[in-house]
Amino acid sequence: MILNRRTFGAISLAALAAAAGTPAFAAEPIRIGAVNPYSGAMAQYGDEVTRGFEMAAAWINGQGGVLGRQVEIVRGNATSAQEAIAAVEQLVGRDKVDILVGTYVSAMSNAASEAAMNYDKLFWETNALARTLTDRQLPNYARSGPSSNEFALRSVQGALELVAPRLGKTAADLSVWIEHEDSAYGTSIMEEQLRLFKEAGLVPTGVGAHSARAIDVTDSILRAKTANPDVWISTGYVGDTNLLLRAARDQGFAPKAIILLGVGDTQETLDALGPEFLEGVLLVSYARPDVNEAYGPGSDAFLAAYRTAYGRDPIAPQGMNAYVGLKILFEAIAAAGSTDYAAVIEAARKIDKPMNTYEAGYGVSFDDNMQNVRALPVIAQWQSGKVTPVYPAEAAAAGTAIVNLPRG
Amino acid sequence: MTELVNILAVGLLLGGIYALVSVGLNLIFGVIRIVNFAQGEFVMLGMYGAFAAQITLRLDPYVATVLVGPALFALGAFVYWVILRPLQGQPMMQVFATFGLLMILENTVLALTGGTAYSVNSGLTGYSVSFGPIQIGLPRVLVLTAATVVTLALGWYLKSTMHGKAIRAVAQDRNAARLMGVDVERIYMVSFGIGAALAGLAGCLLSPLYTMSPQIGMNFIMPAFAVVVLGGLGSVKGAYFGGLIVGLTEALAGFYLDPALKQAVLFLMFIIVLVVRPSGLFGTAGAEEVGLREQS
Amino acid sequence: MSNPDTSFRAPPDTPVAMPRVRSFVGELPLLAFVLAACAGLIVFFTGNSFAQNLLATTFLFAALSTSWNIIGGLGGQFSLGHSVFFAFGAYIAARMHLDLGLSPWLALLPAALVAAAFAMLVSWPVFRLRGPFFAIATMAMTEVVLALAMYFSSITGGAQGLSIPFKAGLHNMIFRDRMSYAILMLCFLAVTLIVMAAVTRSRLGYQLRAVHDNEDTAEAAGIDVLRTKLVGMGISAALTAMGGVFFLMYVRVVDPPSLFSLFDIGVKIALIALIGGIGTIYGPLLGALLVVPLEGMLRAELGGMMPGSNLIVLGFILVLTAMYLRKGIAGTGTDLFARIRGGR
Repeated sequence: MILNRRTFGAISLAALAAAAGTPAFAAEPIRIGAVNPYSGAMAQYGDEVTRGFEMAAAWINGQGGVLGRQVEIVRGNATSAQEAIAAVEQLVGRDKVDILVGTYVSAMSNAASEAAMNYDKLFWETNALARTLTDRQLPNYARSGPSSNEFALRSVQGALELVAPRLGKTAADLSVWIEHEDSAYGTSIMEEQLRLFKEAGLVPTGVGAHSARAIDVTDSILRAKTANPDVWISTGYVGDTNLLLRAARDQGFAPKAIILLGVGDTQETLDALGPEFLEGVLLVSYARPDVNEAYGPGSDAFLAAYRTAYGRDPIAPQGMNAYVGLKILFEAIAAAGSTDYAAVIEAARKIDKPMNTYEAGYGVSFDDNMQNVRALPVIAQWQSGKVTPVYPAEAAAAGTAIVNLPRG
Repeated sequence: MTELVNILAVGLLLGGIYALVSVGLNLIFGVIRIVNFAQGEFVMLGMYGAFAAQITLRLDPYVATVLVGPALFALGAFVYWVILRPLQGQPMMQVFATFGLLMILENTVLALTGGTAYSVNSGLTGYSVSFGPIQIGLPRVLVLTAATVVTLALGWYLKSTMHGKAIRAVAQDRNAARLMGVDVERIYMVSFGIGAALAGLAGCLLSPLYTMSPQIGMNFIMPAFAVVVLGGLGSVKGAYFGGLIVGLTEALAGFYLDPALKQAVLFLMFIIVLVVRPSGLFGTAGAEEVGLREQS
Repeated sequence: MSNPDTSFRAPPDTPVAMPRVRSFVGELPLLAFVLAACAGLIVFFTGNSFAQNLLATTFLFAALSTSWNIIGGLGGQFSLGHSVFFAFGAYIAARMHLDLGLSPWLALLPAALVAAAFAMLVSWPVFRLRGPFFAIATMAMTEVVLALAMYFSSITGGAQGLSIPFKAGLHNMIFRDRMSYAILMLCFLAVTLIVMAAVTRSRLGYQLRAVHDNEDTAEAAGIDVLRTKLVGMGISAALTAMGGVFFLMYVRVVDPPSLFSLFDIGVKIALIALIGGIGTIYGPLLGALLVVPLEGMLRAELGGMMPGSNLIVLGFILVLTAMYLRKGIAGTGTDLFARIRGGR
């Protein structure tokens, strides 16, 4: 209730309070519009991201707010670029928000941030991955979290630094298959992976694309199996990733290492494949709340707060990434002394925080395109049915070892 | 060589999935002449039904069919009677209504589950059957078997039982059937119920293969339309062989050409067949001419 | 075929409502009034950009639905594949704008012509099919072109899509304020309504309706059925492609899944026409005025609460509309009107 959109009830209560002569609020709250999908296929993750925003708002309000003002999150529901524009119009025009944040879907971020620019409002991106978003150099736009490039980077590091040495191979003679779902998300990560592998002197054995809506992906698995790679790297959504893994199991496709990007680290995949098959699978994802406290200070407290607020564990690590993103935003607003987009962007540009400052292990240093270059995902591994952070070494809990690599 | 045989096996098994999903759609399409957009959602409900049976009653999804099938029959009969029957002779409005139904079913499940992707496990998942060098997951073999059995059983039912004959009579000429004393409305309701029940059965049998999401019905419905039209309107055999052809095409195109192009190849082939032989491979010639028009 | 008698003999329950025969010129006063009323909406909501944005989307979909109505409503060819022509328009404009630096205004005509030619080419074989076969074939066509658009990324930008840089200005068809977009879409709507009215009151319109009522009878009456359907489809596709150009400049970021969306474009514009009243001139506009704001309102009000609840409500509204407004708003309205007039 605390953080939901103001209701008519709340308005009338406020009006009543004003009429009764009680002192009005010290200052108008800072309203932040959260553009995300709350219906449709992405609803669960859109909701999880916004929960991160709402927890950040609750946290800062507990600290007395920003600039002496409370923070209020207002939800704007959208599932496509076109709807994202409508959501921004609604949030700015009707709900009078000061700042916009988001989003789980890159195409929405693109359209929504331009719509926000029409009103000279800041669009603070935490979760959308497409690299092109910051390449636009939109003056009201900054991204506090990792982009698709950072995900690709970590996956390549995983292949070269974790897998290759354990197979006794050098980068050049490691054979890699890159599988990706064929929308913008998977494609952009694949392209950066190709570039990074080429830099390391490695040409992947093959690249495969599949549709996230496909009924059967056995053909994709058989193509990879024919190429017989050491490492099979896959980017996808939950359903298609599970389907690929099942097909791999049924077809006896057994690469020495499997690396999954973005998904595969939730209960949904554990239910589908079981702990035995998943043992040793590497996962490139946002740092989870159970990351080593030294790597992500405050992550334990975040987990506790989440459990208190929602009565269960986070379904996915996206929420903590969103939470951290908003904390960085609050610091930028405080430094700027206003919510004006130019001032906040300018203040954010000056923030310099080392890695491992925030819960997700991030630091702050924005590049010229306002991409935070100190926000990186981590690599975790399925170990006995649990997702255990393993890379970089500081993210791992003391005594964590890498298991079942090469897969046997 | 092994590779080709393996791909053919994969295609056949995929064809089994398509055949199983399409047989109910084709029954509804053929008898009542309704393009049922919500058929994929019935499959989705079957999957969630298997899931519900597993978490509440600890039933294996294969056993859950005995509960889910009748439940979907009841739902289908209800939907027909309440929503579609009043719209008889308004084919476009029926399409429109089933589309609304699709939205209601998909989003109700989304609202209830919050969008979490569930999986069900059967005692049989993870088992593979080996034929020489080829490995096949047991659940897929069961789907193909079930598709074959359902096709044969439905064919027998329509051909040999009194009730089945009535269904065929109504499909051929509603008015003549009515004059012969067939309760056309009841036949329609039962047919729609059977179609929905078959979707529910498909959902149960497919549930160990997929991670379910409320949107998964949409993934099935487009290829299923292709299967039904390819195989032939209202032909039980058509749905079966149409399914196998679509499955084989997809697997071959996906492996030898490019997985990114398999949809294009599939639907291109579909359009070509449709143009060359509009009644489908096993359909009665001229059936496509009936179109959306009220039967006279 | 413009013999007025034919229309009087139409059975009373034909989906095409024809209260009396009117010439195109006779249609103009009402058309002007309707457009003026729409413009009045824009003026009324001056300064409210939330409403202006809603009006822009409403008019766009009204226009797309009106375009669909020419072949889908008048001609009875229930196409669910119009998103293909829509995407054609968007991609042609995007390529001309990005590669040649041409104004999207200049892309309107090429987009319309190419889409019309393409539509006639692919429809030729598909028009052999009737009813549900035709509808399903058009859906299949969407899937084919979608897969190809994803594959040939050098033209379409592939999965990543294309984005148009923000350079505001009338010649770029890019505006800062939403009111300009509302006016832009209203102009497009005006074009489609004029074309629709002209077609309805022309020889072609009567031929299309004859084809709709009964292809065999139409054929027997000497109508070249295939030619009639092809011309109708060509006009419809040309207008839809122009809609694609306006949509591109409105969202400025397009990718295949959103352009070829079966449900957000292909089925939606047909549904709007059905709700409003197919085959009527103003039905699609009425449908859009109802559906688009309702959709937006439900999304805004319910979307944040329970996932999918807005679409559940919309689904129920669709089912109920199908059941109780069978001829759409326009058809039901006309019937009521006729009943009141005829009652005395």
